Amino acid sequence: MLDLYDKIEEAVTAIKAKWDKTPHAGIILGTGLGGLVEKIEVDVAIDYEEIPNFPRSTAISHAGRLVCGTLEGLPVMAMEGRFHMYEGYPLKQITLPVRVMKAMGAELLVVSNACGGLNPYYKNGHIMVIEDQINLMGDNPLIGINDDRLGPRFPDMCEPYDQKLVDRALEIARGENIEASKGVFVAVAGPNLETRAEYRFLRTIGADVVGMSTVPEVIVAVHCGMRVVGFSIVTDMCLPDALEPADVSKIIATANAAEPSLCTLVTGVLAAERNDS
Amino acid sequence: MDAIREKMLEALAHVRRRFDGEVRVGIILGTGLGGLAEYIDREAVIDYRDIPNFPHSTALSHRGQLVFGTLAGVPVVAMQGRCHLYEGYSSADVGMPVLLMNEMGAKGLIVSNASGGMNPKHRSGDILVIEDHINLMWDTSLEPLAGLRRLRCNETTVVPYDRGLIEIALSVARRENFAAHRGVYVSVSGPTYETRAEYRLFRKIGGDVVGMSTIPEVVVGASCGMRIMALSMITNIARPDAPEKVDAEDVVEIAARSEPNLRKIVMAALEELSQ
Repeated sequence: MLDLYDKIEEAVTAIKAKWDKTPHAGIILGTGLGGLVEKIEVDVAIDYEEIPNFPRSTAISHAGRLVCGTLEGLPVMAMEGRFHMYEGYPLKQITLPVRVMKAMGAELLVVSNACGGLNPYYKNGHIMVIEDQINLMGDNPLIGINDDRLGPRFPDMCEPYDQKLVDRALEIARGENIEASKGVFVAVAGPNLETRAEYRFLRTIGADVVGMSTVPEVIVAVHCGMRVVGFSIVTDMCLPDALEPADVSKIIATANAAEPSLCTLVTGVLAAERNDS
Repeated sequence: MDAIREKMLEALAHVRRRFDGEVRVGIILGTGLGGLAEYIDREAVIDYRDIPNFPHSTALSHRGQLVFGTLAGVPVVAMQGRCHLYEGYSSADVGMPVLLMNEMGAKGLIVSNASGGMNPKHRSGDILVIEDHINLMWDTSLEPLAGLRRLRCNETTVVPYDRGLIEIALSVARRENFAAHRGVYVSVSGPTYETRAEYRLFRKIGGDVVGMSTIPEVVVGASCGMRIMALSMITNIARPDAPEKVDAEDVVEIAARSEPNLRKIVMAALEELSQ
């Protein structure tokens, strides 16, 4: 279990050989949301295969490289392509890149995902700033002997997403006339989409959107003491009484259409970070 | 059942070399409650690490030894320190020692734990007498347990927790004038504490407290037909609308303060189980 520390060091060494800046933020981009990378002044893009201990993404529309450069004047590391539990990866491996970001010096994690909307007030393309999360993946990346060098045995989860950043993101959205709201993200393992009964259940237990990612990365970011801001893009509405079959190509098209708004929010948050520092 | 039983028999052969006396009741001491073991007139103490297949604990404030002796005149075996799923063990690993206790003659099982309260009527330091549980540990390692069929079918043990022992626990609390409640324990794997959204979820589905232990041991004990009492020390009250950080050290301290109350209930339960 304690070999995780060494694995992180190996990955950090490989990245530092190609990029020697200290990132302010790590960014993980979700399905159909990789376009933010075009806004980055890229110093170097490293294929996941070239980084020791990094898994490889098999999901549709996920590239597989770590983009290092500058965004809004701040050094950032962005994962173009992420890993999912439904691909069969253990959560410890899925979340290794977050630990690598932290070990490189990042203090902020920005996550995005495409999700199903449960809150009937949402619609396709709606942006939800993640306010809180529910873990229904049936697993936790921190199970096993705890390495106290990486974080505490029992991380507190009363504020996994930085509330100041939630407010800041919403303020930026209002200023840019982007429809956004805050809400609760529930994560399931997938890969099947939910039944109507499951959508009713998830709504009943307090979730606004459902997805198959993000929660493991956020748990690990909290464990290692990073601030987190998260964005969910509603790519299909899951209204159990009028449910239509999901179409992956439509989902990706919706994500692509909402992407500019997401870019505006992420760059806005980073610009405010730069002004803070 | 076979795999867990084989592991148990291997452990038992070793334990019997160190202690081969009578055992009536098994006791599992949770976070901050290990002090009860000091009241046992000890006949043998075995480190978990010396017992083959025995899970050994890495958790804060958990020692890891099996204590044989008498408590209030009753022959007992106590687990001082327990293991958890968040340490990487399966429910079958964690439940195996209960099978061993039963094999050595224990017909009663007393389990304690520390938990986070979600019922707004409860206070930290109160004791929850577990009346029923909800298993959200997402672990299927105990599903092959053949005895579970008996648990499901036996009309008198639809619920794993012994009703007579629940009544005794509550009457002790009235007599001694401390707060104890009947309620439902939700177990999760951890090790993360719950988010506010998760607390609301667990409360909504019927939980009074949430913790990271107990259910594996209780499921194994129930499948053996043991009479079970489980007590939960409520060490903090989660208020999702006014969240505070949970500090593991605070949890241990509050548990230590309420320990005398728990001990009084255990003594009364032992008297009942010895008859």
